[in-house]
Amino acid sequence: MKKFFCLVLALMIAFSSIAIVFADEAPTTAEAKTKSGFTSIDDLNGHLLGVQTSVLYEELVKDRIPEAEWQYFTMPNDMILALESNKISAYLIEEVGFIAQYDKHPELVRMEELAGVCDYAVVVGNNERQNLLLSQINEFIAESSSNGFLDDLYDYWVMNFDADTSVIRSNPVFTGENGTVSIAIEGGYEPFSFESNGEFSGFDVEFMQNFCAKYGYIPEFNSIPFEAIAPGTETGKYDFGMNIVISDEREETAQLSNPYYHCNIVFVLEGYSDSDLGFFEKISESFNKTFIKENRWKQFVEGTLVSIEITFSSIVLGTILGFLAYMACRKGNKFANKVTEAITWIIDGMPTVLLLMILYYLVLNAVKMNGIGVSIVGFSLIFACSMYDMLNVGCNAVGKEQYEASRAMGYSDKQAFFRVILPQAARHFIPIYGNDAITLLKETAIVGYIAVLDLTKISDLVRSRTYEAFFPLIATAIIYYLLEILLTVIVNQVQYRCENEHRNKRKILEGIKTDEEFLIEQVEEQEEND
Amino acid sequence: MIEIKHLRKEFEDSAPLKDINMTINDGDVIAIIGPSGTGKSTLLRCINLLAEPTSGDIIVDGQNITDKHCDINEVRKKMGMVFQSFNLFGHMTILENIMKPQMTLLGRTKQEAYDKAMDLLYTVGLAAKALNYPSDLSGGQQQRIAIARTLAMDPEIILFDEPTSALDPSMIGEVQSVIRMLAKSGRTMMIVTHEMDFAKKIANRVILLNDGYIYDDGTPKEIFENPTKPLTRKFVQRLSVLSYSIRNTNFDFENFAEELQSYAEKLLIENDRTSKLQMCLEEICVNNLFILEDDIDIVFDIEYSEKKDELSLVVKYNGEHFNPFDSDNELFNSILNESTTVVHDEIRDPSDTKHQHKLELIFKWEEA
Repeated sequence: MKKFFCLVLALMIAFSSIAIVFADEAPTTAEAKTKSGFTSIDDLNGHLLGVQTSVLYEELVKDRIPEAEWQYFTMPNDMILALESNKISAYLIEEVGFIAQYDKHPELVRMEELAGVCDYAVVVGNNERQNLLLSQINEFIAESSSNGFLDDLYDYWVMNFDADTSVIRSNPVFTGENGTVSIAIEGGYEPFSFESNGEFSGFDVEFMQNFCAKYGYIPEFNSIPFEAIAPGTETGKYDFGMNIVISDEREETAQLSNPYYHCNIVFVLEGYSDSDLGFFEKISESFNKTFIKENRWKQFVEGTLVSIEITFSSIVLGTILGFLAYMACRKGNKFANKVTEAITWIIDGMPTVLLLMILYYLVLNAVKMNGIGVSIVGFSLIFACSMYDMLNVGCNAVGKEQYEASRAMGYSDKQAFFRVILPQAARHFIPIYGNDAITLLKETAIVGYIAVLDLTKISDLVRSRTYEAFFPLIATAIIYYLLEILLTVIVNQVQYRCENEHRNKRKILEGIKTDEEFLIEQVEEQEEND
Repeated sequence: MIEIKHLRKEFEDSAPLKDINMTINDGDVIAIIGPSGTGKSTLLRCINLLAEPTSGDIIVDGQNITDKHCDINEVRKKMGMVFQSFNLFGHMTILENIMKPQMTLLGRTKQEAYDKAMDLLYTVGLAAKALNYPSDLSGGQQQRIAIARTLAMDPEIILFDEPTSALDPSMIGEVQSVIRMLAKSGRTMMIVTHEMDFAKKIANRVILLNDGYIYDDGTPKEIFENPTKPLTRKFVQRLSVLSYSIRNTNFDFENFAEELQSYAEKLLIENDRTSKLQMCLEEICVNNLFILEDDIDIVFDIEYSEKKDELSLVVKYNGEHFNPFDSDNELFNSILNESTTVVHDEIRDPSDTKHQHKLELIFKWEEA
């Protein structure tokens, strides 16, 4: 099994390396600045184009290029990879985003013609403080725009952004007399919100920190996917959602502030790289950017711990919950069976990401549970359903005869179940249990949707800083494999110990004075074989 | 002592036990026999409440166990049960199978349980297998272990539910000899079985269950050797019967011949014997009785005992007596004189029976 893992990993690394080397091979005789030769927006009609989910930039050019097809990306930097691997012909992005990307990817080319201009607002959460917060944020935007604070922020973060040196300059003091406000940010979106040295930084972050300092709030930043910001504020989970493009439709459903900045929207095309770094230099640079710089390895460690916490807690709680449900239903109690059946149907029938979002934004919103707590609740429920099924199948496989034989001897119902049925049922379901545990671990990769910084989300955030796919993706995969091997080893150990031939015969005879020499010989024989 | 009063057990679509009344005395070794599906196993399972009776009382040592307040687990500790499919616990060694119930249910120490277990394992001749698992053993060995496991609990009565039905013929003997040994030790036992010879050898009381009732109850001698009730006789001799009555000379012999043919095919009786039987019947009836009698009233039965492999023809009639040996039919005479043919000719007391004369011809298997 381990050999197989190693082989798969080696193959993956080899293929990725080759892909990187070939992707940057630039023809020296090229005349055109771009590979595709597109110069105007009209040239893009009928091509596949990229845009970030829920920013609505495609609305700006839909009338001019009606036959273009759109591919939607969660993270802006994934569009670079898509462009360079020819998945898309061009993509739309704010000019400021392009400036940040161009810094790391000089081979990118901006189309001269503008796609349009967008205004950006803050969306205010749909809760009891909505009206108050809306008037305060509008007041702050008006004031910041008249005293030059917004221009200054734009100048510093957008026009003169340097990913390595730009930091939040003010050091505001949060008095917090009016409580906490939770703020939804993308978190992987330079220069507006990104992680730097383990803290959130950027235009949005500095802007909101100043707002909170002035109005007596303590800010609490939540990094969630862009498309989850609007729904998250709509349910009132977050008080503010940053960087929302203003559109007519949005103004109908959401409470938007006045614009706090506006920005040109441009098309980005692929040009030629003049990088002359060798293969191994590239690898080492990637490694350096992904793990060493800003101590990013620490974030990987933290993300891994979060993934482990969610997985193991869910397995333990789910096992207990599934077991309790089975015990309630075992004797054919009609009510318990109906309830369990209904719950299983609801949970099993829903994509996991939807279940988590429904729990996070609706069901558990009132109790103010954090993302990790909600994830544990969600995955515990999912695992409890599997556990219930496993017990059902396992106990049925043992058969009624074993139960009857133990009852006929005088075992009570509980004794019969725990001493005779369950130990035998366990042998049937332990292998499935192991598989389900690994499936659960892999499924936890989606908890980034509800603001949990797990391993996958950390890898996304790091990729959004480094503009590299290779190392963060491979490293994440390797860590998941290691966790899976750990789980497999644990389950295999349990399974091994449960098997008849591996049970320790000496233990069976422990504490017994025996005259039967042949039994002792059998014990010794087993020990020799082991 | 166990008393069973008006025991009735119904399932959704059947009632295997209708009204059972019996007393099981200490030291009884009772064999329960009867056709398939007559509730033999259900009766056993009702006694330890594995199947809950629909109505009626089961009184064990003065305690009514169908009472809701009765602690059935305590009662069950006094009753051992041996199942058709052995039901040893698959996750335990043979030794643990015998030790664990003693420790859990009777509170014996590990050492006591071990000593008891080894003692019994020597008794059933499987001490060497103590540390093996049930799946390592043959069916016969597993059943002997199951008996040892039951004995370890020192039960007052042991219920055997078809203990040898799931076994290879070669293994039946070893299990039966263990049970026979127990029967001799004076233990109270109830055995549901299809092995008539076995029942005859070990039981001191035989109960024939039929259609949800106790049809017959007696010693093995009464039941097996001198059965008086017709169903008992039919069952223990494994009889298959064809019955006809003839009231006039228009009896359809062709139709009868066809029915006899299919009857013989079903029971694997060779043609030779059926054609002899058919020939004799026609000779007796058509050539003799039809002529002798004015008011024809003949009843005849054809019986085949699988157990004895005997095909017999019993003709009962009234009127003038017919002596078969007086017949001038040479073929008929030669059949009667064959060594494999037995003839019983009786004249009975007319006040006792409907028909005064009874002529029985038995056709035995012709040995080569």
